[in-house]
Amino acid sequence: MQISFGRLSRRNDVKNMKRTVLFSFHEKHGRIGKYAGYEMPLWYKGVISEHMAVRDRVGIFDTSHMGRLLIKGSQAANLLNYISTNNYSQLDVMKAQHAFLCNSRGGVIDDFLAFKLGENEFFLVVNAMNREKDIKWIKENMGSFNVALLDLTEKVPMIAVQGPLSSNALRKIFGDEIVKIKHMWSSWFSFNGVRTLISRTGYTGEDGFELYLLEEEKAFDLWDAIMKAGSEFNIEPCGLAARDTLRLEAGFCLYGNELDEETTPIEAGLKFGVRFDDREFIGKEALLRQVRKGVRKIRVGLRMIERGIPRKGMSILKSGKEIGYVTSGTMSPLLKIGIGMGYVSPEYSRVGDRVKISVRGRLAEAEIVKFPFYDKRQYGRKRETNLKA
Amino acid sequence: MSGENISERSIMVDEYEVRMDLLYTEEHEWVKVEDGNTRVGVTDYAQKSLHEIVYVELPKEGMEVKQMKPMGTAESIKAVSEVYSPISGRVIKINERLRESPELVNESPYDEGWIALIEPSNLDEELKRLLTPKQYANLLRKIIEKK
Repeated sequence: MQISFGRLSRRNDVKNMKRTVLFSFHEKHGRIGKYAGYEMPLWYKGVISEHMAVRDRVGIFDTSHMGRLLIKGSQAANLLNYISTNNYSQLDVMKAQHAFLCNSRGGVIDDFLAFKLGENEFFLVVNAMNREKDIKWIKENMGSFNVALLDLTEKVPMIAVQGPLSSNALRKIFGDEIVKIKHMWSSWFSFNGVRTLISRTGYTGEDGFELYLLEEEKAFDLWDAIMKAGSEFNIEPCGLAARDTLRLEAGFCLYGNELDEETTPIEAGLKFGVRFDDREFIGKEALLRQVRKGVRKIRVGLRMIERGIPRKGMSILKSGKEIGYVTSGTMSPLLKIGIGMGYVSPEYSRVGDRVKISVRGRLAEAEIVKFPFYDKRQYGRKRETNLKA
Repeated sequence: MSGENISERSIMVDEYEVRMDLLYTEEHEWVKVEDGNTRVGVTDYAQKSLHEIVYVELPKEGMEVKQMKPMGTAESIKAVSEVYSPISGRVIKINERLRESPELVNESPYDEGWIALIEPSNLDEELKRLLTPKQYANLLRKIIEKK
């Protein structure tokens, strides 16, 4: 039996690996693996239990491996308008907006979330694996802009609290103000006297919050306080494996799987992060050309009809012809069937169409479906049904 | 076989159980000889390394398998593992219960989580290439030390 863990690999080379400030909790309670240069928890109790805690109740994640950058200066918005695909000039203070750093071909260097903290101050959350590449790219393109770039990653711990009961747990610590934060907005709070930025954002499809603590030493106190506040809701600490299955069920992209420098936001179906206006930005021409003339490949959701689990790199076929490839796949803990994402030629991307996935030589039937994979009336932050507290 | 206690039936290497009545491969499969046929599965160490098994791709009945060649896969949420056949021969029965309940491999790797029954084609010769429980326990100790 040969076990391959893919990107979330088990520990074998621990040299030069980074750890977050909460590492001792993960080591004591979880299974450690390496991801993007960090030793991170893959799971604690188990992926399925953690995944379902977030869909049904609430889960807590250490996401301190993510990169946190601060861009400040009188031309901070101008810089973001030029190096990213979105416009940051009209953004309200305390609001967050998604965007991409693209190369001149429109390929994605990174996807990120940026908060406008003040007129001349933006807080960026970037992918862990891309942080150094992003810093280099931003510095190369900073040119004459009057801005300063600061890397706060190792100074500002980041914790995500996700799930339909996340606000119930956090209001016990931060009060009713927490409930008033709207989706994609943020607000300042105090935790034991430490300034804490809290945003209503996440990567699970559920209602949830992300907390940025301005003092590293208080990270354990905050983690413990949330665990305690969440105990009446059976809160579970969740590892990177559940983070991945949750984002996949929600239809969110993961850099390195769905996004890379050879793939554009248009192909990934992420036009909401691209704004074409009269400003110039890197990659604009290439992206505009795709919007006008069409794309070579487009991201689709795949839901298995026959048994099997799609995995990254598998071929997608139609009538015996290869039409695309799988970029992510898993057994959905919620739906209990194999689900995945991949890219296909646009003519084969119609929802409801059947395709075959080559699962180690066996052709297994799958259906092209919309995102998210779950029923939006029952799960996700816009659910209609009452909570199963 | 009656009257023995757990300590005679198996040994524990750290958290991993090694049964005394089985033979093993270096890739963490086990074999049990039963009336001339061989029952095969994956070890306690294998199932614990994979963690929650959510899918087992079983070999087909009647299929010819070769010693140390893939005969199926076991998948957890995050990982895919090939399961090698510990012995050459013909698959005469598979554990159909694993289709609906792959977690049996986690819950009972040496009993209810067996994978296939194989009619061996070269048993005596191939058994010599397998590890005894003591040899397999030593292999596990080495793996644990390296961690």
